[in-house]
Formats: sequence, structure tokens, C-alpha cells
Amino acid sequence: MSRRYDSRTTIFSPEGRLYQVEYAMEAIGNAGSALGVLAADGVVLVGEKKVTSKLLQTSRSAEKMYKIDSHLACAVAGIMSDANILLNTARLHAQRYALSYQEPIPVEQLVQSLCDTKQGYTQFGGLRPFGVSFLFAGWDKHHGFQLYMSDPSGNYSGWKAAAVGANSQAAQSMLKQDYRDGMTREEAVALALKVLSKTMDSTSLTAEKLELAEVFLQPGTGEVQYQVCSPEAMGKLLAKAGLSQPAPEA
Amino acid sequence: MSIFEYNGSAVVAMVGKNCFAIASDRRLGVQLQTVATDFQRVFKIHDKLYIGLSGLATDAQTLYQRLVFRHKLYQLREERDMKPQTFASLVSALLYEKRFGPYFCQPVIAGLGEDNEPFICTMDCIGAKELAKDFVVSGTASESLYGACESMYKPNMEPEELFETISQALQSSVDRDCLSGWGGFVLLVTPTEVKECVIKGRMD
Repeated sequence: MSRRYDSRTTIFSPEGRLYQVEYAMEAIGNAGSALGVLAADGVVLVGEKKVTSKLLQTSRSAEKMYKIDSHLACAVAGIMSDANILLNTARLHAQRYALSYQEPIPVEQLVQSLCDTKQGYTQFGGLRPFGVSFLFAGWDKHHGFQLYMSDPSGNYSGWKAAAVGANSQAAQSMLKQDYRDGMTREEAVALALKVLSKTMDSTSLTAEKLELAEVFLQPGTGEVQYQVCSPEAMGKLLAKAGLSQPAPEA
Repeated sequence: MSIFEYNGSAVVAMVGKNCFAIASDRRLGVQLQTVATDFQRVFKIHDKLYIGLSGLATDAQTLYQRLVFRHKLYQLREERDMKPQTFASLVSALLYEKRFGPYFCQPVIAGLGEDNEPFICTMDCIGAKELAKDFVVSGTASESLYGACESMYKPNMEPEELFETISQALQSSVDRDCLSGWGGFVLLVTPTEVKECVIKGRMD
């Protein structure tokens, strides 16, 4: 008889709202934030790692940035265990497309397919929605560089600069103020770091707390490349932007 | 006539000192009629791993596409390339899935593994692996390739000598086979570089 209560998860409230979806978005509001900036020659993704304990072993080089295919990557904000399921479907979908048509999947098509999956969990009873927001960065031959944002309801939209996760409202309005059309990738990185440094809770910005990934076209071959910034390079970038905190004096 | 001999093919791989070479003929025929003379049977999986697929051309292409699919997903999940041994098991599993309606292909796998240890192996169309330390052959010219390789192969050859040996072995074998030939494609892989070569032979 428990179905009677479970199936309520996806039923409208009298005010016409879906509470479960709103709670899912709430869950993301507490997660480490991520933001993306579209540049003329690439897309930049920056994420904030929440360091919960210094004893915690960092398992992978990147824990918020994931490559979906050679031409497509994403940043995650929200419940990681939910995200892993979606990432797996995304990768599978991209490869299925490549197998069928022998060409990379258009970015929007991949985003749409993933959002269809997310949407399903807001309509069919018994299960909760995915507590994940994504920022997708990619390139395809149809529309060049693209940046998309998706939320737990299955809505997605294309952006020039976007933020998800904790403090995303503040980040979004800062991006709106400082974004210029036709920025280079280098400028986009600087903007992303600047915005994140101001919206992050912690006072000092260190290389260990940040992740930076870029999607761009390789100068010689014109192939799409996905690159994750190493901690050393990250430190240099922060120093260059004048954002790294000097060591506290004794 | 067997479906394996419909298009005609010759694939061979050899191990040298910290390197390997894989070669194939370039003919695509329909029985005795030649249709194309630039057909690829050796495919790249990653920088240090290649697969040659002899047998029915259409199955070779399909099988390669499925292997790329599986390898790509592996790469994304593990954030590294597949070891040749692992890849051989993957090919084997994929072939055995179709145990009672197989892909009409006989693969030859060659790669450099950990510490650049060369690895070669072949299997039948349902995935029974056959590992070798020296050379492996497959295709319609396999019988003459066995002979040529037996007499020409020496252990621990340097890359240059290995390249010569495999080219000569391929060339002299396809001349003894009506269904393969029309030049060859030779790939030499060392830890630092990959040399790709199209060689000419009897072009008739």
C-alpha cells in the first residue's frame, strides 16, 4: 500500500508546484558551485571542490568535470551518486550515436536526451528526481562552441555564461555584469576565476579547491580538445589573476 | 567456397625487440574479381594498439566500429587506454556473443603493453584466443604466410629489420594467393613512434 504515498512525489501541489523537484534544486544549492563561460575560441568550465576533510583521499584528478565524448564535457553540481548514473547514460548515448552515424553527436541532442531522462523522473511515480544540475560544454559542426545548463526538472537552456550550485544567483548576476561578447579563452578563464573567487564561501582561493576544464579546437589539426588544468598550472593562473592568498605571516 | 574467402585477405603481425609490426594486403575482391585496391584491414584502437581483421570485409568494418564503441566507453570510465591483453579478451567476448551466427572475421591483435612489452595474438571467428611470442597470421594467404614467417622470422629484431622482414613475408605470401595482394600496408610501432607505410608489390 506504500505506493499510495510514493506516487505523490510527482504530483502537483494545489499551487501548481512540484515539491520534489523544488527540493532537488534545493539540494543542489548546497553543493559546490560550478560555472561556465563561452568564449570565441572555446568554452571554459570552473568548479569549486568542497573539501570536507583533509583526511579525505582525492580519488581522481577531477571530481566535478567529466568528459562525455571527445567533443563534449560537463561540470556537475549536486548529488554525485545521482550524477554518475546520468553520466553513464550520457556517455552511452554519445557512443551509440557515433556507432550508428559514424560522426560525433550534436551537443544539443545529447543534452536533450539526458534531460528527457531527468524529466521522466518528475512525471512517473514512485521515484525521486535526480538531484543534479549540469553545465555542458561542447563543440559541434552545426553551432560551434556551446554551453548548456540543465536542472533536475529536465529543463535545459543555452547560455553565454552560466552558474549552478551554491551561490549561483550571485555568480549569475556578476557574470551578467562582466561578460562581454567575443572574449578569448584566456579572458574567459580570468572572468570565471574572478567570479568564483567572490562567490565562494571560503576566504582564500587555492588550487586544491578549484577545477578548471576547457574545450577548444587544436590549432594545427582543428580537432576538438578537452583539457583539465593541472593543480600547478592552476596555481600559476591564480597568481596571475592576483587571486591567490599570500601565505599568512607568522 | 567459404564466406571467409569471399573478399580475400592477408594479415600478419610480428614481434621485434620492444616493438611490433602489423601488416595487411590492400585488395578487396568479390571472389576472383578485384573491386578495390586500397582497402584498410588494419585499424587503430589507440596509439599503441592495432587490430587487423581478415575475412568478410563488411563484418570487419562492423566489428571495428563495435570495438571502437566499447573502447571509447572504457577510456572515458577508466581515464586510460586499454591494455592489449584486456582488449584481446574484449574482442574474444564480443565474438563469442555471436557464437551461433558469427562475424566472419579472424582478428589479429598487436599492441605494446605495460613497460612497452609487445603483445600479439589472433583468434578464430568465435573468439578462441591463440597467443604467440613471435608472429601471427590470418586470412586467405595464411598458409603461405606461415611458411614465409617460419623461414624469415628471427627473435629480437630491431625495428628496421622487423619492417623489412614483415614486408618481405607479406609480399612473398600474397604472390602465392589469388585472393589477396595488390600491395600492402605495413605499420611499425615502437615505444616512441609509429611508422605507417604503403608498399607496392605485384599490382595485378
